[in-house]
Amino acid sequence: MISQFLVNGIITGSIYALIGLGFALIYNTTHIFHIAYAGVYVAGSYAYYFFYRVIHLPLFFSFLAGIIVSVVLNLIIEFLIYRPAYKRKSSPMISLISSIGCYICIVNLIALLFGNEVKIIYQGVQPSYNFGNIIVTQIQIIQIVSFVFIFILYLLFMKKTNFGKFIIAFLNNPELLSSIGINIFNLRVIIFIVSGVLAGIASCLVATDIGMDPWSGMSILLVGIVSLIVGGVGKFNTAVLGGFLIGIIQSLVVWKTSAKWQDCITFLILIIFLLFKPEGILGTKRRFEEI
Amino acid sequence: MNYIFHILIMVFIYGILSLSLNLLVGYGGLLSLSHSAFYGIGAYATTLLLIKGVNFFPALIFSIFFTSILSFFIAYPSLRLKGDYFVLATLGFQIIVFSILYNWVGLTKGPYGIPGIPRPKIFNFELSTPFHYFIFSGIFFFIVFLFFRKLYNSPYGRVLKSIREDEIASASLGKDIPLIKIWAFVISCGICAISGSLYATYVTYIDPTSFTLDESIFIMSIVILGGSGNLKGPFIGTCFMIILPEILRFLGLPDTIAPNVRQIIYGLLLIILMKYRPSGIMGEYSLQ
Repeated sequence: MISQFLVNGIITGSIYALIGLGFALIYNTTHIFHIAYAGVYVAGSYAYYFFYRVIHLPLFFSFLAGIIVSVVLNLIIEFLIYRPAYKRKSSPMISLISSIGCYICIVNLIALLFGNEVKIIYQGVQPSYNFGNIIVTQIQIIQIVSFVFIFILYLLFMKKTNFGKFIIAFLNNPELLSSIGINIFNLRVIIFIVSGVLAGIASCLVATDIGMDPWSGMSILLVGIVSLIVGGVGKFNTAVLGGFLIGIIQSLVVWKTSAKWQDCITFLILIIFLLFKPEGILGTKRRFEEI
Repeated sequence: MNYIFHILIMVFIYGILSLSLNLLVGYGGLLSLSHSAFYGIGAYATTLLLIKGVNFFPALIFSIFFTSILSFFIAYPSLRLKGDYFVLATLGFQIIVFSILYNWVGLTKGPYGIPGIPRPKIFNFELSTPFHYFIFSGIFFFIVFLFFRKLYNSPYGRVLKSIREDEIASASLGKDIPLIKIWAFVISCGICAISGSLYATYVTYIDPTSFTLDESIFIMSIVILGGSGNLKGPFIGTCFMIILPEILRFLGLPDTIAPNVRQIIYGLLLIILMKYRPSGIMGEYSLQ
């Protein structure tokens, strides 16, 4: 029984990990608390829905369209909101509040266009496979396989291109980075593209599995942020560890009590970490006053 | 006429909420996303006592104390965090409280809500019509308003303002900064309980969905839009945010899309204000 819950936890954890990775990329470098990322996530899944169920494109192209819409929306937010704010040197709180405003706009626009009810991509029962006493559905296998694939690609992108070095430099000292001739704004564009891709993939995978509604993004983003905090802020891959941990804990909570206490336990973990280990499991040690 | 009284009562209830959040945002410089949790705790504490047959005023006083004490235990650890981390901690607390209100069916009846909350009685005179309630909540709003005016002009208010402007400078003058911030949090949450109690007894039905994260964001938008750091700003923000939906209703928007259109307007206003006037319509202070 426990192995089934562990597998379920790892599969949901992989989604949290993707969102956590995308959020970490933006938060660690630009220090924007990107709440509108939830809107980006939802927009991706609705684009997927629109192209697949309304226009009847093939599944693969609709999936791609979902990712593209996420990326474009993420870039629009950067160009219209964050970049002007950065040029005005406004405080992180200002970006946070305009990000919340942006999230409210996107989500309600989607609700206006598509309705408030739940939409599903895949009707009927999904084929499932038995491995010993573990039952896994087809889409769950796709989720975990694509997570592994994306994560390897992401690591290669970080290691093999200059981008990985640049964002670590961005994290440490943006002024110095621009003084050696790197255009900060171009780097920010790449950061927002990569995180948009991550959000798009995660949202389309979840949408294929359980469908979507306009408000589903916020809860997943919040868990993604919790994964980042648990894994460790200030590094780029720690959200994966946090995501798996949170996923497993959540599914153990479902096993031991019931699904309704999931949120409560998740955010209890967040608060415990914030208070006692704010640098996270793998994060760089910082003084309490700096946080 | 009752319709106008209803709107004014909501203005008073949300006015109390925004004034209390103003103490944190405008004077403490702390953006809290857990205000609707304390609003809810206040509402539920009063309701559960009223259902047991306790009078309104003892129930109100108990609920203020209960919420304040609870908020102390939240404030004490979380006020050590700064900036985004403080926002995140309050957000986490908001979700935990909502989850408890929603799932602890034995105490709060969970998603079914608690119907039939008795209206307050003053010496056997029951406040049954909206007009009575308008006067009643107006008196509370006025008391809270005077309280905050007194507080802001007191030495405590000035110390709080100095911490907002420069924390290190006021620490160097020997002010106990954590203690002062904790007091601000506790007072703010205690006042929140008043408006929770007013809301519960006015609507006579509560369920957890009135106290969600969206509600916290709504209260925060009131303070940000109106402007924080003085007493005019939150009041103007409240009038604006409560009366705007009613204006939209007169414009003839269908009920199915009206809530979404309203939310989009709020969102756009937040973005535009943050760009051109971060201190809000009437505010003196913008978040750092």
